[in-house]
Amino acid sequence: MTTTTFIIRNALRNKRRAFLSAMSVAVSLFLFVTLQVALRELTIPPEDIGASLRIAVRNKVSLAQPLPVRQLQVIEKIPGVAAVTPFSYFGGLFRNESFTTFAQFAVNPNRFTNVFVEAKASSEHLQAWIKDRGSCLVGLDTMERYDLKVGDRMLLTGTLYSADLDMKIVGTYQGTLDDRSVFFHHTYLDELTEDPGTVGTWWVRAASAEVAPQVIQSINSAFENTSSEVRAESERAFQMGFVSMWGNIKMLIDSICSAIVFTLLLVSVSTMSMAIRERFRELAILKAIGFRRNELLSFILAESLLLSLLGAVMGAGGAAWIFHYIDIQALSGGMFVYFEVTERMLGSAFLIAMVLGVLSGVVPGLSVCRMSVVDGLKTLD
Amino acid sequence: MLPIKYNAKNVVLRWRSTLATILGIAMVVAVYVMVQALAVGLEKSSANTGDPRNLMIVRKGSQSESSSIVTLEQYRSLLYSEWIEHDANDRPLVTADVLTLVNLPRREQNGEANTTLRGIGPMGKVLRPQVKLVEGRWFEPGKREVVVSKRLAARFANFDIGDRFKTGPDWLTVVGWFDAGNCAFDSEIWADSDEVRALFDRDSYSCLLVRPVNAEGLTVLTKLVEEDKRLQLLAKNEVAYYREQTMTATPIKWLGNFLATAMSIGAILAAMNTMYATVGARTREIGTLRVLGFRRRTIVLGLLIEGMLLCSIGGVFGCLLALPINGYATGTIGFESFSETVFEFTITPALASQGIVFSALIGLFGTLIPAIKASRTPVIDALKSL
Amino acid sequence: MNPIVEIRNLSKVYSQGEIQVTALDDIHLDIHPSDFLTLMGPSGSGKSTLLHIIAGIDRQSSGICKVQGIDLLGLNESALADWRNQNVGFIFQSFNLIPVLSAFENVELPLLLTRLGRPERRKLVQTALELVGLEDRAGHLPKQLSGGQEQRVAIARALVTDPALVVADEPTGNLDSESAQQVLEILQSLSRDAGKTVIMVTHDPRAAAFGNRTIHLEKGRFAEPSTSEAKA
Repeated sequence: MTTTTFIIRNALRNKRRAFLSAMSVAVSLFLFVTLQVALRELTIPPEDIGASLRIAVRNKVSLAQPLPVRQLQVIEKIPGVAAVTPFSYFGGLFRNESFTTFAQFAVNPNRFTNVFVEAKASSEHLQAWIKDRGSCLVGLDTMERYDLKVGDRMLLTGTLYSADLDMKIVGTYQGTLDDRSVFFHHTYLDELTEDPGTVGTWWVRAASAEVAPQVIQSINSAFENTSSEVRAESERAFQMGFVSMWGNIKMLIDSICSAIVFTLLLVSVSTMSMAIRERFRELAILKAIGFRRNELLSFILAESLLLSLLGAVMGAGGAAWIFHYIDIQALSGGMFVYFEVTERMLGSAFLIAMVLGVLSGVVPGLSVCRMSVVDGLKTLD
Repeated sequence: MLPIKYNAKNVVLRWRSTLATILGIAMVVAVYVMVQALAVGLEKSSANTGDPRNLMIVRKGSQSESSSIVTLEQYRSLLYSEWIEHDANDRPLVTADVLTLVNLPRREQNGEANTTLRGIGPMGKVLRPQVKLVEGRWFEPGKREVVVSKRLAARFANFDIGDRFKTGPDWLTVVGWFDAGNCAFDSEIWADSDEVRALFDRDSYSCLLVRPVNAEGLTVLTKLVEEDKRLQLLAKNEVAYYREQTMTATPIKWLGNFLATAMSIGAILAAMNTMYATVGARTREIGTLRVLGFRRRTIVLGLLIEGMLLCSIGGVFGCLLALPINGYATGTIGFESFSETVFEFTITPALASQGIVFSALIGLFGTLIPAIKASRTPVIDALKSL
Repeated sequence: MNPIVEIRNLSKVYSQGEIQVTALDDIHLDIHPSDFLTLMGPSGSGKSTLLHIIAGIDRQSSGICKVQGIDLLGLNESALADWRNQNVGFIFQSFNLIPVLSAFENVELPLLLTRLGRPERRKLVQTALELVGLEDRAGHLPKQLSGGQEQRVAIARALVTDPALVVADEPTGNLDSESAQQVLEILQSLSRDAGKTVIMVTHDPRAAAFGNRTIHLEKGRFAEPSTSEAKA
């Protein structure tokens, strides 16, 4: 026997309690990780490879206000602009679904790949798309999710526009962070809405990261004091704009997380204390045999650390494992897509478990240290 | 039946772990109640909105007022219907509204968010008596003036009376604050309908709100609108229309239920732990009770009552913890309008009792196994145990 | 021969709430190597307290208690713990074995505090178990042993560090007479054959008869003063 086996035997002596303690830590850390993942997904949109060079241009009033198509020529001529495409959100419903599960954008197919460089499609697919005005390019995720094949029809019921789309799928793309979207010809949308004069937004690719800030400034000032002032901003800033709209939700989730951690602490300290209190007599004997205070304290600490880390492995590790395998998109009605557990979250979960283990060991541990052997021997239960 | 006093006294006896369990359950219930209060508040605000006498007319297929389109022709074709009520000056009670999103800075440099700007017709205020001016005055058409919701004003910069804010090339002046009694209009800015159309270069309106002469008129008009295939419009009672705008509350409820489920598993584990310890320490006592002639069932029942009592105290405490948030106004993005939606956390008596029942259930499930186990201990063993 | 335990003017006062209880009142006592001393007296007479102070798990209120010439009051907590490990073996009424450890591991427990390697530890544990006649029960858990066997494992645990002093607090209190007989014979042979000093608290006169010297305590004092000076 070694000291380590002694500690492990002790931790597992009451298997039911060990299980309950580790499980309550596990459940709470599972919850903690889940909330962190959700929060991250809501507030820190994932970044595409091309994002640092990309600039979104919207109407200064709001995203809902369209931009005049004549702005294209002005933007194209701004130095540092490598490519630009119109980019209009359609917001259609697919197959009688009651909410939008993937986005559809009207773009200029000739310009599209120059702006979204990371979207990879075979040249065959691309050519077919460019040629056919009634066709669309569909992300691989959506193709797989709905079991679509190249050649199928893509029918979408408009919610923002009083028009429905009927298109042929001629190709797929992948390589972006969100391979769900459908891209189609802006001219097709113009035709349906009988409005060739407006677009939703412009998306621009700057020639280099160095000139990007200058390009943003130039675009903003180019339309100042016109009837359609614009707000050009980096893709990142554009997405953070959505985050800002969430308002107090972030604070809410943060406070829930703290409540959980606090509750967890409370429960584990009490459980651990119970476990130790039951063994007061035994610990008194160890003391009598000649174990020192800090040896006993480290036994107890090691034991509580062992249990809470076990809980962390089950809870945080379990979360990472489960989220890797479940279809979160289907479960959450399209609200969450990736639900990825980062190393940082695992790190903080384990850190919490460590703190928890130490605190819930130290509290009863100290009372063991203070206890006199004689008193300890007197305790019966 | 064991006297309740026996169980009540036991709850007090092991106060340390008991206290921890109670506090733990209180936290669980508090979190549950708070999150649900958010969903209840959101739902209440949309359920509160509108006048049952009014009929809302929107484009078929649109998911919200702001994505609806009603053309001038459509508006005119309905304006002169004999089924529409008229006011004292013989003007029809119809308003053609136009809604647009305006991106504006929040107070305290807290980023920007979309707000809904609603242009209303001259009858717009008459049709919505629940909206009351609380400060300043109503806007005058043509003067680039707006009134804003008092609750929204608390959240956005430049919304004090007399302030101006720029949207597009134009400056708009805030001349008044209104209070809509905690409904969807509390998330809006109001201005004149045709002025808003001009400002944002809109050819059409977004939706129509009409007051039919009577209940029959409401049915006839609804039918009229829906059967005219050319119109492609949809008519719905105004109250019903807003009540169905609950998409925003759905994910919050989802979150609430998820949290409640996961946290209650944790709480049940904790309660089990406490009850196991309590029961374990009392094996001898339980043995004695059995020697005295108490039945197993009675002992299990007694312990269950004890566990539920303990957890209900936590539940009540949790509701008390959550209570201060009741009436606290907050805002988040509304999924239908895609703009800031202001609402109040609302803890209804039903929600509070839900929380307490929830805590009692935690007690029930947490105690069941330990109690059964304890009652199964043979009498002799129970008496031997030290 | 120098006494192994020297006690002078020893007193112990507890405060129980607001009441002061005198457990030991001005005790003088010498105990010599390989004595088998039994302490007798009614409950509350102070016999256990005296044993605890000699064994270094309780401290006196006043007076001196020297064991092997060391004043225990002069040792701090940690030093005292080390001292107990090396010099005292404990035997309790309710055995107090660690339930999750086997007989072998229970005996090995005090050795974890020494620098001994695994093979040496194994040898010592085996010897101790042989001494109490339980070498064939080494792998059993306490709950698989009878009361008498449990107490013998406890004795093995007390002996494994080869302490000079063995203290036993009512070691036969929970045993049937046959097992009690075995345990007492072991204790007797420890003092007689192995040269250990054994101090035993008991209130069974038949158990006390195994000792070579008996002291009666009552209300914190020796009941028959003459016996404290006798035999030495």
